[in-house]
Amino acid sequence: MRRLPLLIAVLLAPVLAVPPAAAHHGWAWTTGTNLELEGTIKKARLGNPHGLLDVEVDGIVWVFEVGQPWRNERAGLKDADLAEGVVIRVIGEPAKDPTIKRLKVEKLYLGDREHVLYPDRD
Amino acid sequence: MDGLLAGLEATALAEHLRASRWSYAAVNTTHLLGISLLIGAILPLELRLLGLWRSIATEALARVLVPVAATGLALAIGAGMLLFSVRAREYAALGVFQVKLALVTLGVAVAIAVQLARGWQLDRCGRGTAIALFSLACWLGALVCGRSIAFVAE
Repeated sequence: MRRLPLLIAVLLAPVLAVPPAAAHHGWAWTTGTNLELEGTIKKARLGNPHGLLDVEVDGIVWVFEVGQPWRNERAGLKDADLAEGVVIRVIGEPAKDPTIKRLKVEKLYLGDREHVLYPDRD
Repeated sequence: MDGLLAGLEATALAEHLRASRWSYAAVNTTHLLGISLLIGAILPLELRLLGLWRSIATEALARVLVPVAATGLALAIGAGMLLFSVRAREYAALGVFQVKLALVTLGVAVAIAVQLARGWQLDRCGRGTAIALFSLACWLGALVCGRSIAFVAE
């Protein structure tokens, strides 16, 4: 098996080439502590594979990651609830990198209605 | 082009996949099954052409692995087009997606050319090593680009 190093290199190449995880997946990219923000929805992109809201908070546009359709539905949300112009307050974890204005929402408030996307997280 | 992609996103099937939990998961899994079969078949075949497992006849190996790879490719493309339809404009604009499509096209072109030129006797060629390395680079590159979509797309 003098070609073993070649085999190993070929098999490992994709693993080494994959960039470190950015957003979306799990909570590894977030701070681990909650942040509360309130703003106005500028744009909503809902549906698989991820639901995203562009929300203006004190003049800065943040991207709030909300749930997939089933998670939003379980939390009692309808797509129309998250439309442009709606004022939304969220509690969730922001990205570790402070230059990235992105937050993964754990629960949100529309007026005094509470919608919990991740019931097991505090 | 944008109108065409928007039209694709507006089809009933795309609307359904965007909203549903298990249909989307099923299509996703089918795409993954296709990729597994494709890469899982291509990799040992290319490594054989690069000189591993010399005691096994390339032709016998090719008769098994080429149809498996082709089936995997068909599944991956079919399910992939459905996944694409869910957010067509967003994916089409992604650099990694464009590179992935180019690599898949190159990989398919090389595979068809080799098959046409040599039939099942894939190793009957002076440039076998170079072709095998190029093909491997195409497919593994496409795999990396494809997986990256989930990490660079919004």
